[in-house]
Amino acid sequence: MRPILMKGHERPLTFLRYNRDGDLLFSCAKDHTPTVWYADNGDRLGTYRGHNGAVWTCDVSRDSARLITGSADQTAKLWEVSTGKELFSFRFDAPARSVEFAIGDALAVVTTDNFMDHVPTVQVKRIAEDIDDQTEESALVITGIKGRINRAVWGPLNRTIITAGEDATIRIWDSETGQLLKESDKESGHQKTISSLSKSLDWSHFITGSLDKSAKLWDTRTLTLIKTYVTERPVNAVDISPTHDTVVLGGGQDAMNVTMTDRRAGKFEAKFYHKILQEEIGGVKGHFGPINALAFNPDGRSFSSGGEDGYVRLHHFDSDYFSIKM
Amino acid sequence: MAGLAPEGSQFDDKQYDKKMQEILTEDFFTSYDDVCESFDSMGLQENLLRGIYAYGFEKPSAIQQRGIVPFCKGLDVIQQAQSGTGKTATFCSGILQQLDYGLVECQALVLAPTRELAQQIEKVMRALGDYLGVKVHACVGGTSVREDQRILASGVHVVVGTPGRVFDMLRRQSLRPDNIKMFVLDEADEMLSRGFKDQIYDIFQLLPSKIQVGVFSATMPPEALEITRKFMNKPVRILVKRDELTLEGIKQFYVNIDKEDWKLDTLCDLYETLAITQSVIFVNTRRKVDWLTDKMRSRDHTVSATHGDMDQNTRDIIMREFRSGSSRVLITTDLLARGIDVQQVSLVINYDLPTQPENYLHRIGRSGRFGRKGVAINFVTRDDERMLFDIQRFYNVTVEELPANVADLL
Repeated sequence: MRPILMKGHERPLTFLRYNRDGDLLFSCAKDHTPTVWYADNGDRLGTYRGHNGAVWTCDVSRDSARLITGSADQTAKLWEVSTGKELFSFRFDAPARSVEFAIGDALAVVTTDNFMDHVPTVQVKRIAEDIDDQTEESALVITGIKGRINRAVWGPLNRTIITAGEDATIRIWDSETGQLLKESDKESGHQKTISSLSKSLDWSHFITGSLDKSAKLWDTRTLTLIKTYVTERPVNAVDISPTHDTVVLGGGQDAMNVTMTDRRAGKFEAKFYHKILQEEIGGVKGHFGPINALAFNPDGRSFSSGGEDGYVRLHHFDSDYFSIKM
Repeated sequence: MAGLAPEGSQFDDKQYDKKMQEILTEDFFTSYDDVCESFDSMGLQENLLRGIYAYGFEKPSAIQQRGIVPFCKGLDVIQQAQSGTGKTATFCSGILQQLDYGLVECQALVLAPTRELAQQIEKVMRALGDYLGVKVHACVGGTSVREDQRILASGVHVVVGTPGRVFDMLRRQSLRPDNIKMFVLDEADEMLSRGFKDQIYDIFQLLPSKIQVGVFSATMPPEALEITRKFMNKPVRILVKRDELTLEGIKQFYVNIDKEDWKLDTLCDLYETLAITQSVIFVNTRRKVDWLTDKMRSRDHTVSATHGDMDQNTRDIIMREFRSGSSRVLITTDLLARGIDVQQVSLVINYDLPTQPENYLHRIGRSGRFGRKGVAINFVTRDDERMLFDIQRFYNVTVEELPANVADLL
């Protein structure tokens, strides 16, 4: 694999997201300007200017018309994908961390961080079809979680919301009442901060990455632990292949410690595991800082990684990848 | 490489340690041992915290854990930490916490040795202070004097500048010192060295007698510490031993090149590797920057270059292009050895070894910034072997011979 290096961000990457068709790749970084790239050749298509702080996550609507971004400037913003026009700004009392559209794009879930005496929250926002009708009103606010909520995503049929974060616990909530339905088991579950979460194509299962140096695969309805992938570095990013039985993990040591230890200690490769057999298949090197973001293209033929080094790297898989037998 | 560094040379580690010990045992410093493991626990005002989190910080680095709070308490501080570990955010936060935002007069003065570094600090200060409504101005040479005067007249809270222009503004009374309560020297050992010391002294004379002083640098030799005694009042000190200053995350290599004339061919051989990511090539003189740039371009290699003799507009354009990744190989002098933070620089080449030993650490510290590994390659002629040996001993670092697969390291 010869990677395509995408230069454009001047500070560390935080998140990557493909649109449903897989022809666009959206990247977020600490430099305030989410960027959209052609997903095949890595050409930069445009940027979204308006945020005044690091951008932590984004999501794109099913028809690729709208983008939502969550930022440390205490706002989540709606954008028109094709023009880069800012459509709306949701304001919060704390940095906005995780954002995701629901199926049908009529709702979005947003999390806010703990900030001074503000507790972390999960909020559901209604997304108006006509932007003139858009309001800041929350359809639901969930509190009661201690510690930052790094990721919140919709469950099947938008009936539930799945959260994961600093307290190492995964929770499933009723998306209408806000009632807590399930919590991950303390013993078999993660032992440290959960950094990342990614769903399978059919949303029947999802994978979480943790600073406890493992990633775990869970059933979305029952929150049963299915598989565990053990690595030797903190995991900052995870994703599940949409077409093959593979998962990818990326991370590396805490950014704060990278320059203080020998380069061999960095472990910045993206690692591929067999989803079912839990065995490592291979790795892809290249970043010179921790990997903070990973995403498979929906067509399963390529993946992208974003690092603390400010680069997005796009890799098209070799034919060998498609004929792996275990 | 036999023998010890001669007595009294710049790399005499026994002499360095002896002097350092003498200074440290004197009753001149304040003890301060508190460590704050989160920004929330530092007692910072809400809008400063908003700015810190909006910048993308989540946890304080080691220097920030120890260094922000004593500065916020109004104490004089001497703070040393390895390259790329968060010193700028430390003094920016300390200043922002103490400003009176209702008074639009200059209350803090930050001095940096280069225009590029002053502009970089101004950018960080502006970003962290955005929710506080801070007005900060970069007052540097090579720009319009009239424009500086106009901005200063309209009122600013903080001035970040280079000594020459700042002194000029003070002398013309465009910058009034009456309300300046904080004075920060970044890259302090450079600022207190031969080249800048007199200018710093002249500026300091014009400032109010009751003023908080902060000095920051990755290198803090005993000579610089000695000078700080003249204008600091029982400072809180955070110092790093000389043999712990280098960063293990920066892999250091040398290439043996018998003659100076052969360096150019070696650089051209490496060029394809250089262009994979962003690289800085350091040479020792401005004339040599121009010479090397011409030679590289005549061999069809794309490079950009900057040094102190170039006009400011050109310097600004080149820095902007390099930061954004439009250009990837930059040839320069020690003008950019200190402080400059470009996200994707992962390789530094010392085409010439530095004439000042501290600048070795500063140069290689342009790669291997917070959260990123780096590589440094030293071109070593027969005349340089001694200096490379001294650097290794003095900073307790291993410089290995460059392997053939250097591209794999980047």
